[in-house]
Amino acid sequence: MKRILLGTLFTVVSFHAMAQAPGGPDCGWGNMLFKGQRGTPAHILASTTNGTSGNATFGMTSGTNGCSTRDSLTYGGRSWIAMNGMMNELSEDMAKGQGEALTTYAVVLGVAPEDREHFAAVTHEHFQQIFSKADVTADDVHTNTLAVLKSDPRLAKYATQA
Amino acid sequence: MLKRLAYLALCACAPLYAAPHLDAQRLQQLAHDPFWISLGHYETAKLGGWRSYVSDKKYFLAADGAHHPDAELQATLDALYAPASLGNQHPQCVYPARTRWLKAQLQLTDLPAPDCTEFKQWFKDVAPHSTVMIFPAAYLNSPSSMFGHTLLRIDPANVQRDQTALLSYAINFGAYIEGSDNSILYAWKGLAGGYPGLFAMVPYQEKLSEYRSLENRDLWEYRLNLTPEETQRMVEHVWELKQIQFDYFFFDENCSYRLLELLQVARPSLHLTAQFPLTAIPTDTVKAVKDAGLVERIDYRPSRERELLERAKPLDPEEQQWVLKVSADAQQLQSVGFKQLAKARQALIIDAAYRLERYRANGQERDPVQAQRSFELLRAINQNPPPDLQIERPGLPENGHESRTWQAGVGTRGSRTFGEYGLRMAYHDLNDNAESFPLGAQIEILQMKLRQYEGNHWQLQQLDLATIRSLTPRNALLQPWSWQVTGGLERVPGRHDDQTLVSHVNGGAGGTWQLGDDVLGFALGTVRVEHNADFAAVVSPAAGFDTGLLWKNPLGNLSLEAKGDYFINGEVRRSLSLNQQWELSRNLGLRLSAQREFSKLATPENEVMLEVKWYHY
Repeated sequence: MKRILLGTLFTVVSFHAMAQAPGGPDCGWGNMLFKGQRGTPAHILASTTNGTSGNATFGMTSGTNGCSTRDSLTYGGRSWIAMNGMMNELSEDMAKGQGEALTTYAVVLGVAPEDREHFAAVTHEHFQQIFSKADVTADDVHTNTLAVLKSDPRLAKYATQA
Repeated sequence: MLKRLAYLALCACAPLYAAPHLDAQRLQQLAHDPFWISLGHYETAKLGGWRSYVSDKKYFLAADGAHHPDAELQATLDALYAPASLGNQHPQCVYPARTRWLKAQLQLTDLPAPDCTEFKQWFKDVAPHSTVMIFPAAYLNSPSSMFGHTLLRIDPANVQRDQTALLSYAINFGAYIEGSDNSILYAWKGLAGGYPGLFAMVPYQEKLSEYRSLENRDLWEYRLNLTPEETQRMVEHVWELKQIQFDYFFFDENCSYRLLELLQVARPSLHLTAQFPLTAIPTDTVKAVKDAGLVERIDYRPSRERELLERAKPLDPEEQQWVLKVSADAQQLQSVGFKQLAKARQALIIDAAYRLERYRANGQERDPVQAQRSFELLRAINQNPPPDLQIERPGLPENGHESRTWQAGVGTRGSRTFGEYGLRMAYHDLNDNAESFPLGAQIEILQMKLRQYEGNHWQLQQLDLATIRSLTPRNALLQPWSWQVTGGLERVPGRHDDQTLVSHVNGGAGGTWQLGDDVLGFALGTVRVEHNADFAAVVSPAAGFDTGLLWKNPLGNLSLEAKGDYFINGEVRRSLSLNQQWELSRNLGLRLSAQREFSKLATPENEVMLEVKWYHY
């Protein structure tokens, strides 16, 4: 009983701690490009037990690194904050002008299917403006992207929606 | 428990709602419906009756619910009529799958209507529409990953049209580890069931980077033909399992077994778990899902390491040196030598250098200097993008041989003939049928061999607890170590030219090199501890070597191996061996082994054996 009570408490607390506005102290929005990954000291052992360490999350705010998604632009329930975890993939795709992360970015920004190829071409061309430095954050990337979209006649409409 | 008390208390004050009375026969009928059994994760107990795999008391509404599906059903039915004011704590909100089913079975039209805001928000967020089974394949340098893992990805509508799988959620079942244990304890507890198993719902993207980048495993995605309704039913049940603890056992009650249960909730007509009474090895469960006709299409995602190696493959040695130079110092991009290379070759080199740089950053904290280097390489890629990387799909993991092996052979040792009979519980050695297995990886668990010599003389020949060998080739860009470890009982040349049964543990480390397209050469230094009745000491240590060739030829895999152990007590034991597998069919192989053994205790001895291997179950 005591254990369950404690468990319930933790769930409630962690839920509140997790749902923060972007930029809040525990909200991971704004990951830096090339953010380090958690190391795997017990790599072989980890794949033996398929263990998950840390909290067994349940998706309530997942994909958003603990940020509240209420006010953000969403696609089918997915916030563009979800891109936060894909900064490395996105930078690589945009540098190359194609790829799954780049398509995903177009989709969460609400770019219509017929404009996605053009979106890929434009962001590829303006890669250095969008990923302006090595320690650019996801937040910067988003702002820079909107700036680029605004200056393109065909894509400008997607910049104003945000 | 607390929740239950709370609503019981409330029930007492608000007798407006009443659960319908169920007659005993109807109750029994419903309680033993396969779907209700699935929801409770019940299995028939050893001594009759039922037991649930769920080890968490809070999952059950009835005090004896873990053992009595009928009591649990009655308790659930009563609970559904708790006052709506309970909100998110209302059993209807906590158990949406139970609720939906009971409502349909009993035509419950008068249920209170609590506002399940948390569940609704979550369900809307996940937006379940279709299901994909994910199988991260084995990674050569981590043979224990050969057992694999399975998880489910839940896709919203339009994922295929928009190619937005990166935004989907994955359902993962794994051991829940609370940090402070050391590695050995961790592995042991994981195997022995010391950690609880929990379901987690995580962004698929996270799982992708975990497997493809951190662990360097290829990923297979099996799109299942579950309907939106079936997927939704399953996801509703997953909500019921939030923070609910199961027992976790590596061999049977593992990730794959739990996912099969979920699929049975999605489509109650499936009979998947019954096929795995003893062990559920993930590849086998993939096979079972495929055989049940659930798979619609199969996609492949190569690991980051494979992408790097494939990108570097067409590069000549000089160009590979450029990859190393450029990845170490992006200024090299401006050097005269680099600029003299053809533009298309430059693009390949820069891309390979970038991939190498990211590969090295794997599992590390962010390093500003390295980040700057990567960033400059990205800008160079942006100026001169490489062509799309096309990677040929390897053999499907489920097309590999089955995991358990029966063996029967005949041979001669010196002038004596013998028959040998063996069983290996799992899984694959260097010579076994190669389809869908990487060359140079071996993992064997529990292998026993018995020999019958002329005159009906029987003896235990070998008993391995585990054998792991990982022979990963080194090249200009990556220099992984090769290693091996074994322990168990085996026969070695002993006094009076007899074979002595010894217990031993040994291991080694070294390097492997790709000598040709399908040829590996390896050399390892080894250490060994042995308990041998022929020796004076209880435990005798030795150091030695193990070197050889592996060749994947049209007949099957061939290995040629030379080994030596130099004991501190003076004994020197060496052997030369040759093994050639002849792959007869997916699950049948013939193996020729020839060996010559040398020892200071005995005269050199030859042994030849021809063996049938049947991979079964």
